[in-house]
Parts: sequence; structure tokens; C-alpha cells
Amino acid sequence: MALKDKKPKLLEVEDLYTYFMTESGVVEALDGVSFDVNYGEPVGIVGESGCGKSVTAQSILQILPRNGKIMDGKIRFQGHDLVGLTDLQMNKIRGRKIALIMQDPLSALNPVISIDEQMTEVIKLHQDVDDNEALEIAIQSLDAVSIPEAESRIFSYPHEFSGGMRQRILVARALALQPELLVADEPTTALDVTIQAQVLEIIKDLQKKQDLGLMLITHNLGVIAEMTQRVHVFYGGRVVETATTEDLFSTPQHPYTRALLSSIPSFSAEKGRLEVIPGFVPQLINPPKGCRFHPRCPWATEICKTKPSMVDLGNGHATACHHYDKLEEY
Amino acid sequence: MTTEEQHNREPILSVQNIKKYYPVKQHAILFSRIVNFVKAVDGVSFDIYKGETVGLVGESGCGKSTLARCLVKLEKLNAGEIRIEETDIVTITKRSEELAFRKEIQMIFQDPYSSLNPRKLVLDIIREPLDIHMKRMPFEERNQRVYEILNLVGLEHYHALRYPHEFSGGQRQRIGIARALILNPKIVVCDEPVSALDVSVQAQILNLLQELQEEFDLTFLFIAHDLSVIKHISDKVLVMYLGVIVEFGPTSEIFKNPSHPYTVSLLSAIPIPNPAIEKERIILEGDVPSPVDIPPGCRFSPRCYKADDDLCVTIEPQLVELKPGIFCACHYPEKDKQVIKY
Repeated sequence: MALKDKKPKLLEVEDLYTYFMTESGVVEALDGVSFDVNYGEPVGIVGESGCGKSVTAQSILQILPRNGKIMDGKIRFQGHDLVGLTDLQMNKIRGRKIALIMQDPLSALNPVISIDEQMTEVIKLHQDVDDNEALEIAIQSLDAVSIPEAESRIFSYPHEFSGGMRQRILVARALALQPELLVADEPTTALDVTIQAQVLEIIKDLQKKQDLGLMLITHNLGVIAEMTQRVHVFYGGRVVETATTEDLFSTPQHPYTRALLSSIPSFSAEKGRLEVIPGFVPQLINPPKGCRFHPRCPWATEICKTKPSMVDLGNGHATACHHYDKLEEY
Repeated sequence: MTTEEQHNREPILSVQNIKKYYPVKQHAILFSRIVNFVKAVDGVSFDIYKGETVGLVGESGCGKSTLARCLVKLEKLNAGEIRIEETDIVTITKRSEELAFRKEIQMIFQDPYSSLNPRKLVLDIIREPLDIHMKRMPFEERNQRVYEILNLVGLEHYHALRYPHEFSGGQRQRIGIARALILNPKIVVCDEPVSALDVSVQAQILNLLQELQEEFDLTFLFIAHDLSVIKHISDKVLVMYLGVIVEFGPTSEIFKNPSHPYTVSLLSAIPIPNPAIEKERIILEGDVPSPVDIPPGCRFSPRCYKADDDLCVTIEPQLVELKPGIFCACHYPEKDKQVIKY
């Protein structure tokens, strides 16, 4: 561990602010987000819709929609700041160093181009190989995600594959270039549970084999529990809690995380009422002042109208709550 | 309630061997001919008793939603019988009888965005069932009923004079629930009512449905693909695969000791939000086959970890009662299999 500490982290996001300019005002999608991903570590990012999970992925790869802008902050990848790089410089990082898998496997593939072309295009762009070598690499990576008869199926079109297979093709394309970091934005949300299990198993397997840094973005706490070692919980455009996966589920230290965990129907509990979080996810166009969870928080007091800072609780556990030391009493 | 008690009572909803096939047409220049059928629901039978919540699970394309649409007669059946209490609703022809049965069974839809007319006020949306079924009720009284039901589902009076786009997903689902309940139906078919919602809002809606059920003695058929939701809300579960029921029984039993290999693999596939719970991992091969060409023999046999080359690929297993109250359609059902270790 001591050796690793001296090396810069794989990804370090520091105080990132990303705003969207819309007709109805400025949306503060990310409001000072800081987190990190170590080399070869599967990290989860969890939160409800509109909490800024996907915007974080888009900011890292700088593929924000035109009205979105990184206002401030640093995104250090292997020690180098990505913020402010030109598109040309980013092109050398996107795909080769940081790969992205998106939620919807159908819209991420071009329906009128065969799979072999869509895969070799990426490989040829980043590596100095000829057509045959590129095809070879593509077939190998399809094999790695257990696409049957990859040598012949590679010449098919996206519509000839099922949803689960398409998502596996995207995993194969993302990992063909052996990137350092894989950003997976809700990779299995559109899939059925048995297919989700297949795809997750493949991602987990390849992550270990290639010693890949994984940033898994999802709203599904079950997926987080099975896939990751460390979790960053997002709420209203901020990180509210960071912990190892085990600690997060056993001793959550932020009221939001606690409420979230008790609002999901559990398998062990008997039938009864679920605990609910009153109200709904805040609009980021006019977010609540101070702690963004305070209007829904049962423990909120006057001090919560000021912004809490991240408090380190040891063992990599940190929470952004004014009342972190009193939570046990509640 | 024990099984014996239930046997003495008549089911409130009884479904006998219903089938729904959609034709697959091939178009020539002028004519089209039917070349095949999508067998969406292929012989389903079950009973639901008063006050129960029956969960229906299965993967996409297994026919859950078609089954729900058949029950409320949004689809014409190809074969089979659906009885609500004593009335067979399939053979109804008279308009008055049709109206009478529609009052008894209502539906809550999955998508709270597309199931509400964006050009109508919430008041009009919720009042519409009354306008159809209770024409004689004075207009003022109908409005009054809308305000009462708004209260019950946790909305305020002033919400009635707003349009659907002014509401969040969870609030819209409350409007959908209000519309389904305003006629005091006996049975409510909930087609994935919480899958479009965030977890914190999902919990609010699940609690609301349970409260309403207790208050009005409702019977629910609850469709979901999320097994933890089913485990939470239902008394019994129907597991569906490619148009047929493969397992049916009390929720607690089925989650503790699943009998059908499909139920086993389904339980093993769900990610459990608790790293402390251990479970057996069975990863299914392949995808759900297309309901156009259904595999011969047992429909699950091409993906099944227990299938043999003889019985399973030739003879389709029938739904039989394994233990009292537990039905399973498998040649080699599991005994005492525990997937999730609590």
C-alpha cells in the first residue's frame, strides 16, 4: 500500500463544478464534487435520478452537451489535469485510456454499420495496426465477453443481437484497447435480471483480469453491493458519503444514505411498511441552501442551512453531515 | 390466512387456460398472410382470493403485461375463461354488463408520463371514470368524490386544477392510483407501478398501495420485474416464463425454497443490496427465446442447468401441486433448495 500511496491516483476529481445554462436558468448539476478511483479498483457511484451521476461521467470524458460547462475544479487522470485540454488532446485519452459504456446498448451502436467495422474503427484509430490485425483484436475481445462464434457473428449488424449481447459487444469494444479506467454509466439498467447477471459477471471478470479501474454508475444498490469495493454516494450534485462498500451497508453515516438503505424492500425483513424519505429529489435549478438534503432530513436543524464539509471518519469513510457525530443517538 | 380457509371460499378472480396469440403477417403487394403467431400468453390458469396481493414476475417478453391487459379486457382472448366472482367476463356482449364488470376491475399503468392525458386537468382525469359509470350522480358530487380521493392518495385539493406536467413522477403515479380507485373496484391490476420511480419515491408509493388495500379491502395483481418489490408486497407469487406459469405459491415459501430451476436462477441473479447476505450463483446461459418459435418440450430447457436430453426436450411439463399450495411445472423440481441464505 505504501508504494501505491506515492503514485498519483488513477483518477482524482477535485472540487468539480459543472453547470448547465438553460432557458429557465442555471442548473448547478455538479456543485463541488470530489472523489477518487485507485488503480485496478472497482468504485461505485450511486444516487437517484438527477443527482449528477451521469454528468460526472460526461465531465470526466468532456462529452457534455453544448449547454454544459465545467466551471471550476480539477480532474486529474494519472496525475495530469484533464480540464482545459483541447478536443484533440482528449481524443488520445477517450477510448484508449478511459473507456465508456452507456446505458442504452441500442443507441450506442450505429444500426447501419456492421459490428466489425464499428469495432475495428476504434482499434485502428488508437493503435498502429492494419485491417487484419484490428479484426483479430476485435474477434478476441468478442470472445472474451462470450459472444458465441465471434469469428462469423462479428460481421452481423446490431439488430441481429439481443439487448444483452449488444451490451456485451459494447463492453468488448470498450475493453479492446485495454484502457486504464472503465466508466460504466448504468450498464445494466435496460436489461433483465438474468441478463444483467451475465453482463455484470463479464465486467467483473474482465475488471480483475485486466486490473482495470472501474467507475460504476448506478442507482441500484444491489449492483453496488455485488460489484464494488468502495462507494461514493451522490445527492443533489454533491458527494454526501464515501466509504468502503462493506462499511456503507453496515454503518452508513449520512442521513440520506441511511434513509436510502431503509427505503429499499429488503429480502430478509418481514412484510411491513417501508421507511420513506418525504418529499422528492431537489431541482438543481434552484437547489436548497446549505446541505441539499436538509428539507427532507428528519434530523435537520438551523446549522444545516450552511454547507457541510466532508468529515473524515477514518478507514476511508467520510460524510458530509453537520450531525455526523450525533447520528448514533437518533 | 391458512390454505384451508381459502379452499372454502370462492376465488374473486379465476383464470382458466387463457391464450393470447398475435399473428405475424407477411406482406405481399396487395395481400398479407399470417405466417406465424407470437404466443404471448399460452395457457395460463390461476385463482386470486379476496384481499390477497398476488405478485407476477418474469423477464421482459414473458407475457406479464399481455396477461394484465387480457384481465381488464383490453385484449381479446383467443381461448380461455376469466371469471370475476361468478361472471364470465369473456363472453359478455351487452354494454350494461360490460360497464358493470369494468367497475370491478381497474388498472394502474407503468409509465406515469404517458398514461395521463397532458391536455386534461387532474380533476377531469380522475373524474372521467365517474362520468362514464355514474352518469346519474350530480356533477358537484362527482367533483366532491375527486377531492376525497385526492386526499386519500396524499395530494392536495389545489392539485386538482393543475395539468399532469406540473407533477413529479411519484405524484403522477398517485394521480393514476386515484383514477383507478375512484369507482371502488374490487380488483386492481398494477402493471409495474413503481419501476419508473426512484427508490425513495418507490417506497412512498408501495406504502400508499398497502394502506389503500387495507382501507378498501382491495385485491391486487401486482406485476413487477423487481423481485425485492414482489417479496415485499405480495402474499403469493406467480412466476412466468415465455407465456406460461412455471411456479405459483406463497411468497415466503417460494423465496425460501424455490422449486422451479427458473425461479432458482432468477433469485440467484438479483443483486442483493446487502453484502452480508450470501447466495448461490447460477448464471443462466443465453437469452429468453422468442415467443414466436417456442422451444419444444419444456420452454426453459435450452437455458436450464438441470435439463436432460430426453424428457425435458420432448414433453412439456404441466403445472402440478408439489406441496400444498405450491405449484410447479418442472420434470425435475428442486427440493429444499436455498438460494438466498438469510
